[in-house]
Amino acid sequence: MTLAAARSTKAGAAPPAAGGRLRVEGIAKSFLGPTGGAIAAIDAVSLDVAPGEFLAIVGPSGCGKSTLLQVIAGLMPPSGGTVRLGDRDVTGEPAHMVYLFQQYSRSLLPWMTVADNVMFAFRHRIKLRRAAAVARCRDYLAMVGLADVADHYPWQLSGGMQQRVAIARALAAEPQVLLMDEPFSSVDALTRLDLHSLILELWTQKRFTAVLVTHDVDEAIFLADRVAVLTQRPATVTEVIETRLPRPRQSIETRESAAFLALRHRLLSYLLSRGGDTPHA
Amino acid sequence: MTQLTVEAAARTFPRAHAYRLRNSRASGVALVVLLLGLWEASARLGIVQSTNWPPFSAVMVALYSSIVDGELLPIIVSTLWRLARGYVLGSACGVVLGFAIALNRPARLMLLPTIELLRPIPIPAIIPPLIFLMGLDDKLRLFAIAFATFFPVVLNTLAGVRAVEPVYRQVAQTFGVPRWKTLGCVVFPASLPFILAGLRTSLGLAFVVTVIAEMIVGEQGIGYYLVTMEFAMRTAEMYAGIILVTCIAYLLNCAFVAWEAHAIRWARLIEEMRGES
Repeated sequence: MTLAAARSTKAGAAPPAAGGRLRVEGIAKSFLGPTGGAIAAIDAVSLDVAPGEFLAIVGPSGCGKSTLLQVIAGLMPPSGGTVRLGDRDVTGEPAHMVYLFQQYSRSLLPWMTVADNVMFAFRHRIKLRRAAAVARCRDYLAMVGLADVADHYPWQLSGGMQQRVAIARALAAEPQVLLMDEPFSSVDALTRLDLHSLILELWTQKRFTAVLVTHDVDEAIFLADRVAVLTQRPATVTEVIETRLPRPRQSIETRESAAFLALRHRLLSYLLSRGGDTPHA
Repeated sequence: MTQLTVEAAARTFPRAHAYRLRNSRASGVALVVLLLGLWEASARLGIVQSTNWPPFSAVMVALYSSIVDGELLPIIVSTLWRLARGYVLGSACGVVLGFAIALNRPARLMLLPTIELLRPIPIPAIIPPLIFLMGLDDKLRLFAIAFATFFPVVLNTLAGVRAVEPVYRQVAQTFGVPRWKTLGCVVFPASLPFILAGLRTSLGLAFVVTVIAEMIVGEQGIGYYLVTMEFAMRTAEMYAGIILVTCIAYLLNCAFVAWEAHAIRWARLIEEMRGES
């Protein structure tokens, strides 16, 4: 893949990205409405994500982005269509995909310490000796710069730190595919830029396939190889744009580059022309 | 300015002393001692004219001798053993049924009205009819204790399980926790603060019902002892029994609270943190 090759850091040294392509084919999801009729949330969404690729999905709020991601993650059964990872159909809880939740305050388990939260990610799938589990947990916490708060409870940390713990936990499961549901939307702006750089660094290092759902066009362009645009409900993919921005991306320089601004212009005018701006659901 | 303030503080020093007493635990203990002193004085000085009002010191002597001559201890043990069995039975039923109706909507719709109807029944009121059904042995007393224990536990468990953040379950799902394990791994610890609150309420209730049941039915336990001493006009022993029962109930509650604080330290710390901000 040219996209994988375009990565600058350790592209040669790192192991090849594990797993196969993520193929989402004709996924549809409808809910039972208040009057008993079915309400279509997603309509025939198809996506094809290469191993190790970073795909962003943008769309107006309330368009069904999270629903789409939950269906891909197996947290919710689709009304139609299939999800395939490599040569396997994905049903139930796929072993190689992990979902990173929007709200760290609701997804970190409050009765567990930071270390126990991270170990929770893998201890049900892999039996490790205590020492090995602790070491793995320490490695992933060190990766997000939080090795020293392992014994704290998550709610004793700042919002940004909590989301780092959530990221460490998600990656500690060593997924082939990381599905991110607006994970940077509930932290302040500076912390968000920090987390963007962190997630790119970890992605480069670990070579997982990343699918990010967001309403933030800048975030999507900055992070992704390709940006898919979803329409209003029922959501469907109307456009997929390749960013082709050089990596490694720089917090400030990349965002000021002409190519970035051109992409931003194109995506925003596209979203706005579709009447994408809606009241918050 | 500072000079003046210091002088003012010096002048009010005796008041500061009184302030410290008012705001320390010592004042609480002082009131208890004062009340016991009043009891002693009222009996000794004949303020209360009654042969059934022994002075506190005489009650203490009676308590000491009933314990030393081995009369009271087996009685207390039998009461506590009865309490423990009834309480564990009622709690277990409460937790299990609480989980069942919290997780299963049809079961909840079917059982909740019955639970709500049975809950306000005063236990002593149903002991006489229960005598016809269950006879006069320990079965009846255990049932009464378990019955009283059951309701706070089942309703708190229900509320606790229903209040579990739905995202926690999805977290368990995404990390491959099998469904049956999610209950023990996620739902139970998340709802534990509610369950323990129910168990604490029930403990006090179960103790009261144990003593009442012993007073009404059978010839065992501290409740029966109290009634016997009353009929025998041995009032010092009667009050000794009451004091002992009170102390045990107090200690049981203290022990439970200490254990609870340890078991759900995280919930207590979160509460403290919220209180500060």
